[in-house]
Amino acid sequence: MGLILREKAEHLATFRWLEVFLMETLARWVPTTPEMEVKVLMGRHIWDAAQHADALGKRTFELRAPMHYTLAPLPLHLSTMNELASVEDTTGRLQSVYDVILPGLAARYQQYLQNSDSLLDEPSFRVIEGILNDYARMRKESEEVRAELRETLVFDPERAERWSRQESAISDFVVQGSGATLAREASA
Amino acid sequence: MSASSNRKTVQGVTLCADPAREPCFRVAQLDNEMQKFENGMSEDARRERLHRHMNNEMGALEIAAQCLADFPESPWDLRMQLARQAFDESRHVHGLHQRLRQLGGYKGEFPIGNFEWAVTNMCDTLAARLAIQNRTFEAGQMDLLGSLRQIWRSVGDERTAEVLEHILADEINHVRFANQWIRKLVQADRRLLLKVASAVRFLADTNSALAGETSANSGETSAEQHKKLGINVEDRRHADFSDDEINEILRQAGMSSLASAGAPA
Repeated sequence: MGLILREKAEHLATFRWLEVFLMETLARWVPTTPEMEVKVLMGRHIWDAAQHADALGKRTFELRAPMHYTLAPLPLHLSTMNELASVEDTTGRLQSVYDVILPGLAARYQQYLQNSDSLLDEPSFRVIEGILNDYARMRKESEEVRAELRETLVFDPERAERWSRQESAISDFVVQGSGATLAREASA
Repeated sequence: MSASSNRKTVQGVTLCADPAREPCFRVAQLDNEMQKFENGMSEDARRERLHRHMNNEMGALEIAAQCLADFPESPWDLRMQLARQAFDESRHVHGLHQRLRQLGGYKGEFPIGNFEWAVTNMCDTLAARLAIQNRTFEAGQMDLLGSLRQIWRSVGDERTAEVLEHILADEINHVRFANQWIRKLVQADRRLLLKVASAVRFLADTNSALAGETSANSGETSAEQHKKLGINVEDRRHADFSDDEINEILRQAGMSSLASAGAPA
């Protein structure tokens, strides 16, 4: 069954939270990651995540929720995100973002598209399709950096697979019944 | 723990501890640890300039990123500007590294300094960090770039001049948004004015105490550089400095005659 309007706003608000979280995680990691090429990669993608959050936040307003409406995900997903953002080593950080968080989010965006209406919710589709294109570019750029640093960075594929399984095992991630649209009506 | 809360002491002055760097980099704390060249545009000196600039841009990236991490409650539009700045500074690092390698250089070839990071992150408000990093350090770089690109052109290095020209265009935007947001933030909370003033004083005191440490990053003190290379009045106007502010900067740089005659267009 497709999403109703309020649920769409809640999904987009949760995606917005996740994009801001990604932006802040990358920002926190830039000064504490030694490799210059990795700092540059993360610095570039801070701006991607910010633009995604901005576009999603404007779209929530169009769906009768507040401007830049933002909802934290459900506790299980939230704790997984926090765990992925607590990684200290460079290879782990690259795997966390580019092998786990981005593919995981991409799958959730795809799921949203499957449950929405490409005509009536076309503005959301355009925002999300743009984000998915960006994710593909971001992951390609991370592969280029990994290739450049292959002699100094050693990756543990098992770790990324374990994290991916943990992330994808969580199906529900959006807080339902937030009263998003009602909040806007009440303040109008 | 935030990277901006770590501390180091340099000649009795407490500063923010250095950001993470690869082992190939030798991090200088004082001017005499930096490499200098008698001929400022010899092949070695050119690579050293690019290497130093590359690290300064890395510092600017780290400072913008740290602002995003440390001030999550700041206005979204300002955070967008900081995120954009992080993207710009990343491209600057990449472009300078690329140019350095084209000239036969490599990362870690020369010592580096992290003075801007060390001073800026001692500020506990975003307005003060913007005042120090964007409005002071980056505006100073804007002045330098106004002349430096011509110097690179004069030695026949058009490509580096082009890289610097694009960096300058980006820096103007960073200084402009800082000028505009400092005004807005101070208007909303007058107490921030004191924080900004304290930060500017701290920078001046640190410069005096370390006497030459600034050179570890830029080769000379900013006042010396301004005297030699001049104030980039046109771009400071683009960056939303008022005529009064530009006149004051000209006075401080020892260009009182220009200031009293009105800033040149």
